Amino acid sequence: MTMTPRLRKFALTTHVISSVGWLGAVAGSLALAVAGLTSQDAQMVSAAYLAMELTGWFVVVPLALASLVTGLVQSLGTKWGLFRHYWVLAKLLINVFATIVLLLYMQTLGSLAGVAAETTLSSADLSGLRSPSPVLHAGAALLVLLVATVLAVYKPRGMTAYGRRKQHEQRMVSQP
Amino acid sequence: MADPPRYPDTRDDTDVGPDRESTTGTPRWVKVFGIIALVVVLLFVIALLTGRGGHGPGRHTRSAGGHTLPSGVTEYGVRQP
Repeated sequence: MTMTPRLRKFALTTHVISSVGWLGAVAGSLALAVAGLTSQDAQMVSAAYLAMELTGWFVVVPLALASLVTGLVQSLGTKWGLFRHYWVLAKLLINVFATIVLLLYMQTLGSLAGVAAETTLSSADLSGLRSPSPVLHAGAALLVLLVATVLAVYKPRGMTAYGRRKQHEQRMVSQP
Repeated sequence: MADPPRYPDTRDDTDVGPDRESTTGTPRWVKVFGIIALVVVLLFVIALLTGRGGHGPGRHTRSAGGHTLPSGVTEYGVRQP
């Protein structure tokens, strides 16, 4: 199925918005995670984890899912296909892997936010909240999404065996 | 009203030209990417299964997995009562 040029542009625009938005939201989460890790102010630490959970559920997760869906539509609706080019396949794998880890990690963030929401935090809870885990996860996510963005812009050459076979079939049809 | 003139490169994001994919075989960047991806996924699965490095069912307690989470807080899990 090939989309019309107008629909193709619309799909591409939504995919770029959701993907770049996801990248930006993760960068914001990384800033909050660093604040939660390094701040000496208990209120700042609590606020950072509460904000991370909120932005996670209402910004990062929707954008991740939107990026995945619009990416699937964009690839299946154009000549790029989903499994024909290595860069498209690599982006798909990155997107699926990052979304799975994100959804798993949201449970951890929910737990951290639950502790942060307590009105009285013990010193043990406060030191426990200063975990490097959110920084590591947000940093790794940022790196992975940057790789996906570079792949999308540069579109490095390379067709899969399936893609080469499909290309050969199309040439045979167009040049009988 | 007529459509505005289109720039010649507006098809670059979706157009697959016939000369774009003339090489055969697996490019080097794909091999490098595959190796890195395999290592990352293996590390993730190992961490998830063993609970080391802050992942998995076994490290959801205080001071487990190399860093400390508040009592009851579990990574990739829920807060225990």
